[in-house]
Amino acid sequence: MANLSSNKPDFSGQTALAGIAGSTSANPDGGAIGLVFGEMAHLGKLNLRGQNGLAKSVKAVTGCTFPPKANRFQSAGERHVVWLGPDEYLLLCEAGKEQELQDSLNSMITSSHFAITDVSDSLCALSLRGPAVRAVLAKGCGLDLHPKQFAAGQSAQSLLALSAVTLMAVADDAFILICRTSFAPYVQRWLADAALEYGYQYVA
Amino acid sequence: MLIITCPFCGPRDEVEFACGGEAHIARPLADHKISDADFADYLFMRDNPKGLFLERWRHSAGCRRWFNVARDTVSNEIVEIYPMGSLPVKTAAKTTYKTSWRRDTAAEKAATPSRSKAGGSK
Repeated sequence: MANLSSNKPDFSGQTALAGIAGSTSANPDGGAIGLVFGEMAHLGKLNLRGQNGLAKSVKAVTGCTFPPKANRFQSAGERHVVWLGPDEYLLLCEAGKEQELQDSLNSMITSSHFAITDVSDSLCALSLRGPAVRAVLAKGCGLDLHPKQFAAGQSAQSLLALSAVTLMAVADDAFILICRTSFAPYVQRWLADAALEYGYQYVA
Repeated sequence: MLIITCPFCGPRDEVEFACGGEAHIARPLADHKISDADFADYLFMRDNPKGLFLERWRHSAGCRRWFNVARDTVSNEIVEIYPMGSLPVKTAAKTTYKTSWRRDTAAEKAATPSRSKAGGSK
């Protein structure tokens, strides 16, 4: 009898956008490339639910001030704490550190009402930068993305071309976009298409 | 398109929200005996007024939290947005709440815990 197990595809360690090769499209006007984007592969993501008694532990583990204000995020180096709701936060950390972070939080938080869920593989994070980043996002998003209305440090959960996304403004010309893993190829292709008129570079 | 002000996220497009239908429908408690017809008022009967309507909405593409909205179904004017579990405070919305046919139903009366611990019909 044939060994069926050897026919199983091995998806371990595969990223959400593994099947999409890097690509470049020059700015038709000849200027600088408008959007440079790529997957933040295996970025650690933890969903944190809870209201009280979390601040000290989260601050100690991530280095970020907690809680962030509504629709904002706090950063310390590569770690970010994003506000998702009045009792819900998203913790982002370096690839591979999420288990360690989860364990330390679980042992440090004394409040009895909280939950930490590893959602690293459920969500896909993309890093977007370039002079046209806001113009590209504005094509598919109802939010006011003017730098005065959506400044660095602000975040929002909204819809981008009908897919649910979390947008984090890292700087005037840099964003982190988080979407569902299953939507990631669609979002990647939509971004590439929307950025055609500004020129883009997708780094695989 | 409506711009709805989420109590947590501020003004956002209507596409980010999901309407949860009529607000302030309380489930009759098990320790009250009510007829099937009265229970149907709670389970099936929904208001569909021309004018001010108290609704539940959820910011489904945003913070995913529920809240109440007093909306005029003719003009789409949003008169008041208030938290779940509370009643409206603006006069027009308050009147809508008080004058709803639902306030007189046996189902709503049966949603209040009875005073006697042993339970019973009243």
